Amino acid sequence: METAELKETVQNIVNEWKDREGNLIMILHQIQNRYGYVPREVSLQLSELLDIPLARIYEVLTFYHYFKIVKPGKHRVSVCMGTACYLNGAPGLLNELEHLLGVSAGETTQDGLFQVEVVRCLGCCGLAPVMTVDGKIFSSVQKDDIAKILSDYSHKEPIFSSGDTGSQA
Amino acid sequence: MKKLSVDDLSAMRKELKKKKGSWIRVGCSTCGIAAGAKEVFDTLKEEIQKRDLKSLEVKQCGCIGMCYAEPLVEVMIEGMPKVFYGKVDKDVALKIVEKHVCGKMLLNDRIYDAKRSR
Amino acid sequence: MEKRVFIKDTNHVGKKERTRDFYTAFLAQLRERKLENDVQLIRVADIGAYNQGFVVHIYPDDFLYSNVEMQDIPRMIEESILGGKKIDDLVCHHISKQFRIVLRNCGVIDPRNIDEYIVHDGYQAIEKILSGYTPEKVLEELKTSGLRGRGGAGYPTWLKWQFTRNVPSDQKYVICNGDEGDPGAYMDRSVLEGDPHSVIEGMMIAGYVIGATKGYFYIRAEYPLAIERVKNAISQAYQYGLLGENILGTDFRFDLEIRLGAGAFVCGEETALIASIEGKRGYPRPRPPYPSVKGLWDKPTVINNVETLANIPVVILQGGAWFSNIGTGASKGTKVFALTGKVKNSGLVEVPMGTTLREIVYDIGGGSASQAKVKAIQTGGPSGGVIPEDFLDTPVSYESLQKLGSIMGSGGMIVMDANDCMVDIAKFYLRFCVDESCGKCTPCRVGGTQMLNLLERASEGTGKREDIEKLKKISLAMQRASLCGLGQTAPNPVLSTLRYFEDEYLAHIEEKKCPACRCGALFRYSIIQEKCKNCGLCAKNCPAGAILGDRESGYTLDQEKCTRCGRCFEVCRLGAIFRG
Repeated sequence: METAELKETVQNIVNEWKDREGNLIMILHQIQNRYGYVPREVSLQLSELLDIPLARIYEVLTFYHYFKIVKPGKHRVSVCMGTACYLNGAPGLLNELEHLLGVSAGETTQDGLFQVEVVRCLGCCGLAPVMTVDGKIFSSVQKDDIAKILSDYSHKEPIFSSGDTGSQA
Repeated sequence: MKKLSVDDLSAMRKELKKKKGSWIRVGCSTCGIAAGAKEVFDTLKEEIQKRDLKSLEVKQCGCIGMCYAEPLVEVMIEGMPKVFYGKVDKDVALKIVEKHVCGKMLLNDRIYDAKRSR
Repeated sequence: MEKRVFIKDTNHVGKKERTRDFYTAFLAQLRERKLENDVQLIRVADIGAYNQGFVVHIYPDDFLYSNVEMQDIPRMIEESILGGKKIDDLVCHHISKQFRIVLRNCGVIDPRNIDEYIVHDGYQAIEKILSGYTPEKVLEELKTSGLRGRGGAGYPTWLKWQFTRNVPSDQKYVICNGDEGDPGAYMDRSVLEGDPHSVIEGMMIAGYVIGATKGYFYIRAEYPLAIERVKNAISQAYQYGLLGENILGTDFRFDLEIRLGAGAFVCGEETALIASIEGKRGYPRPRPPYPSVKGLWDKPTVINNVETLANIPVVILQGGAWFSNIGTGASKGTKVFALTGKVKNSGLVEVPMGTTLREIVYDIGGGSASQAKVKAIQTGGPSGGVIPEDFLDTPVSYESLQKLGSIMGSGGMIVMDANDCMVDIAKFYLRFCVDESCGKCTPCRVGGTQMLNLLERASEGTGKREDIEKLKKISLAMQRASLCGLGQTAPNPVLSTLRYFEDEYLAHIEEKKCPACRCGALFRYSIIQEKCKNCGLCAKNCPAGAILGDRESGYTLDQEKCTRCGRCFEVCRLGAIFRG
């Protein structure tokens, strides 16, 4: 991404939220939604714009599981490990994914194409087990379905739309 | 839109309650969408338009709670029992329009009559 | 077609032929009376009753009959279909006892359209209140209703509101806790997605009572659709003047904003949630002072769960007395449960308090999803416990579940069958709490990890007899000394599984066996040579290459290479794979 463009985007997000109390988490959400993670240079810029220490930003970034500080793989594959999914075979799905892609949960494949993650409950317990790729939910997944799901994504561009930021109405 | 007063709101509710007629609802919450509700919704909309069934309204709604049967489609045609169709796919959606809406016959093996209260 | 008759064979065995015969016989008798053009006979997929033979539902008279036999067909036709009379001895009694208050509009209205909420009596409660209820009168109704918090602790809602109302302050806040962290509960998501205005209305009423002009929705970032729907609902409410200044032409003012969670379970705890809205790490802090005195930005704050808030407009409209008639003892109204796991019909169910667990699992959930028997249910998520099948006749209430060593919690209800290992479940929940512990206080940070080590030892076959005592001791320390609810309740899943299933722990520790064959180190797979027909399916499917041999010489399983994934066990059609 272009540095100038990045700077402008961050500036715009900060402008929108600057005068509201407790804005840091909401700003970080918007940045992560756009880039898939919060790059270090953005944190540095935020520290200046909001006039808070960098440590304050990293303190928050590292506390919450949702925020990422390293560039994610092109496609994010997440296996839900909520209780219902766990009982209905989610560990087996994760095994299969790890086996197929040759990485462990939390890692990215060498070609940078897929990142495997474990997520907390997605609230689709009725359709367990579920997994998501770039935010799209696949329900009642069987081990045998995984290869097919992955192959559909081998060529696609990623979309980081797994969360919308709740800028005020 | 002007801001409502207490009287405006009651009048508006009264007016809205007069509306009657047949409708189809598709459960479009996260679980429904994950099971394919959006495609079902689009198919129904398209088919209703194709057949020019103007008085029939196709709507999205939240989750009724029967996750095991998603995607769920509720059909209310005047003079017929209100029913839920479960595990609806594109083909079933087309059949609902053809047989239930136009033919006034309910579909076999697809109804989830769970007798929820209300 | 004037009449419709739904039929369903609700017993598992011999399904297809039985249904076909019954259907054909019914149809033939309709034809005999030349009724085939007036009555439509429909096979349905689900009739809302289970294990009760043939169930017949006659429309439009709404007669529901169960355990119907072939010989009952003539009288059903004569008396009910033609005569319009109910046949008392056939009436089905075991039906869903669902009663919808919280989920009243979910799946009924289009959540993206405020008009649909209004037409279903939406914003009528706030209308009623602003036309002449004092805050005291609202509190009175709430007190009469007996409504208690649905987020877990079950604190009386009116009391929470009254405390906050009585603290003088220039600014107060209302927070909706939508940080549904229990992995296995999703009713809040469903309400926010399906009926966001009901929660907004509940928050407005709270604001009116305590004297707050501002409210915050705190919603998990993992629920993008819920966030979108709430955002849209807030903007529509502003357009109609239901939020902002001079609401409904009065001088009541209320503003709403959304703040997002970021994947921290501890933020469901109210003081941690407040820290998170303030843009900080979600650390809990000691109470008192309670949020009702010192909450968001140190101002008096009411925090209510989504489900609690969705109840409020109904309590006002129908009256507290009406609400208190539903439910039992000190638990009034209904409770929404997310019924999942090894149950046939997983989904959201809303039942009056006092409904038994058995009615929920069997009459609504349809019982076990497989052939395996239901072994236990788990309620309350990582803060709750398991309840064995023997106790399923317990009526649901805050107190009864607590007595059994579990809690109501936010309403997760997970059904487990004979294939689920209780040590594994305890480990699952405990690992969750260890991962989610914020690390601020020692009992939770260290105690949780130590307990997890002990459980891991047990499931790896290196556990010792005295570990059970140790588990109990650490649990007690965590319960007594942890700072917040997370640490205090984290040992619950371990304690309750120990209470009811100590034999399983002992099997792991002393016999080095996992009775449910879940803990990989404590069971193995092997090929039963007498049953094996050398088809090679298992070898083909084994991801670890642990099955050696060929179709001529037969197959053997290499224990060293086996990862206990169970693939061979699943694919073998001859039952030639031994597990144990």
